[in-house]
Amino acid sequence: MQLQWWCSAQSTAWDWTWQPYPGVWLFIGLIAIGWLRAERSRSPDDRERQVRRRLSFGAGLLCLWLALDWPIAALGAGYLASVHMLQYLMIMLLAPPLLLMGWPRASYRRLADSRLLPVVRVLTHPLVALALFGVVVYWTHLPGVVDVWMASQLGSLALDLAWLLGGLVFWWPVVAPVPERPRFPYGIKMGYLFLATVINTLPYAFLTFGELPLYGLYELAPPVAGITTRLDQQAAGLLMKMGGGLILWTWITILFIRWFQRESADDAVRPA
Amino acid sequence: MVLVRWGRLLAVLLVAAGAVAGCRMDAPERGAAREREAETGFRGRVQADPAPRPDFVLNDARGGTFDFRAETDGYLTLLFFGYTHCPDVCPIHMSSIAAVKRDLGTEFGRHTKVVFVTVDPKRDTPERLVSWLGNFDPDFVGLYGDPATIDSLQVRLGLPPAVVPDTAAEDYVVGHGSPVIAWPANDSVRVDFPFGTRQEDWRHDLEKLAALDGSGD
Repeated sequence: MQLQWWCSAQSTAWDWTWQPYPGVWLFIGLIAIGWLRAERSRSPDDRERQVRRRLSFGAGLLCLWLALDWPIAALGAGYLASVHMLQYLMIMLLAPPLLLMGWPRASYRRLADSRLLPVVRVLTHPLVALALFGVVVYWTHLPGVVDVWMASQLGSLALDLAWLLGGLVFWWPVVAPVPERPRFPYGIKMGYLFLATVINTLPYAFLTFGELPLYGLYELAPPVAGITTRLDQQAAGLLMKMGGGLILWTWITILFIRWFQRESADDAVRPA
Repeated sequence: MVLVRWGRLLAVLLVAAGAVAGCRMDAPERGAAREREAETGFRGRVQADPAPRPDFVLNDARGGTFDFRAETDGYLTLLFFGYTHCPDVCPIHMSSIAAVKRDLGTEFGRHTKVVFVTVDPKRDTPERLVSWLGNFDPDFVGLYGDPATIDSLQVRLGLPPAVVPDTAAEDYVVGHGSPVIAWPANDSVRVDFPFGTRQEDWRHDLEKLAALDGSGD
């Protein structure tokens, strides 16, 4: 099998022989180097927060790496739509909030003082971020896009980047401290995430209840472990709905708990 | 004022999204199937000079012999030459045909025969043929015979004879023609389905072929 720098669809039968993807290692390495450089600046965080932040970044980077490297990326690129969907969940919904929460606070403060802030403010406005999320989710699941783009390494890279960047923009207003958005409190954040579960519903319905296979790429791929195309497609749809729902509702629950704790703390300090 | 500004921005984004999503980005094989449909009414390849289904007798994997012309007379018939260790073309064709046959219902199934002739009799024992085909549809017929007979049959049908490597190894790959050949019950046309035929195309053409039932309707 020919060496690929980024994983794309192959017409060969699937086997469990490990494949290297140097482009993925470089990409993950660059993110790690960027984070280490940002970490060098003194952080005012206490020890416990620092550990939590580092764990969060490590988990996010690991999640991203697993999604982009063998075997998940190889199976998702050209064999199973359900694994492609798992990649979507990992790259767009799971990794971005962990990466954003793990990024050093000092970097956010520098961003707040930089000329980039107005751009970030517009791009990460909840309405814009939600619209972008919808565009990326629908566009990257169109059969014409998946069938054509996943066949080349550049196309596959473009889809992965669309997921990652779309995910970072989508999660930014929920977890990033800059810019401050006093009119985007916990309750609205929960509604924002709920709307994302609604956006996921349309592709889920097409995948799960479609009579015929949507993606030629997976329909005509060498079979893996006797899994039929239709079963694979239904699994992809269910994974999108249930896996995506699980991630988003977990976050909604976390936000609710934080909101409740904040309210309780405020009540405690409020004079009777 | 702020709301108007955000509203405009959102509208621009949505229009851009619509423009991108509306672009046609079909894979190449979709275009070819549509072109064939516009020319002939079928998405598979219609043979210009259709000969009637061939007359041959091979061994049936379930026991006895199978007289192809006699056994399939009056049925919509699909014939394919492949092998059970095939990593891609054969299982994909069989899986697609089985799925569409199920979709089209029992009445369609009763009037259709799918015949699979192995080009790798060394490894495809009768038991293996029955078991492998049964994974897709227990009604699929598996045939085997001596390689010279099967080679000449493929040539008669305009297919390249299979290339089986001369090796003692067990995990070899066999080169073989990829189309599935279909005849309606009345033999009025022969349609070849190349590898890359989507289930949507199978369904379209098999429904049309089933309608050519020999009654002249």
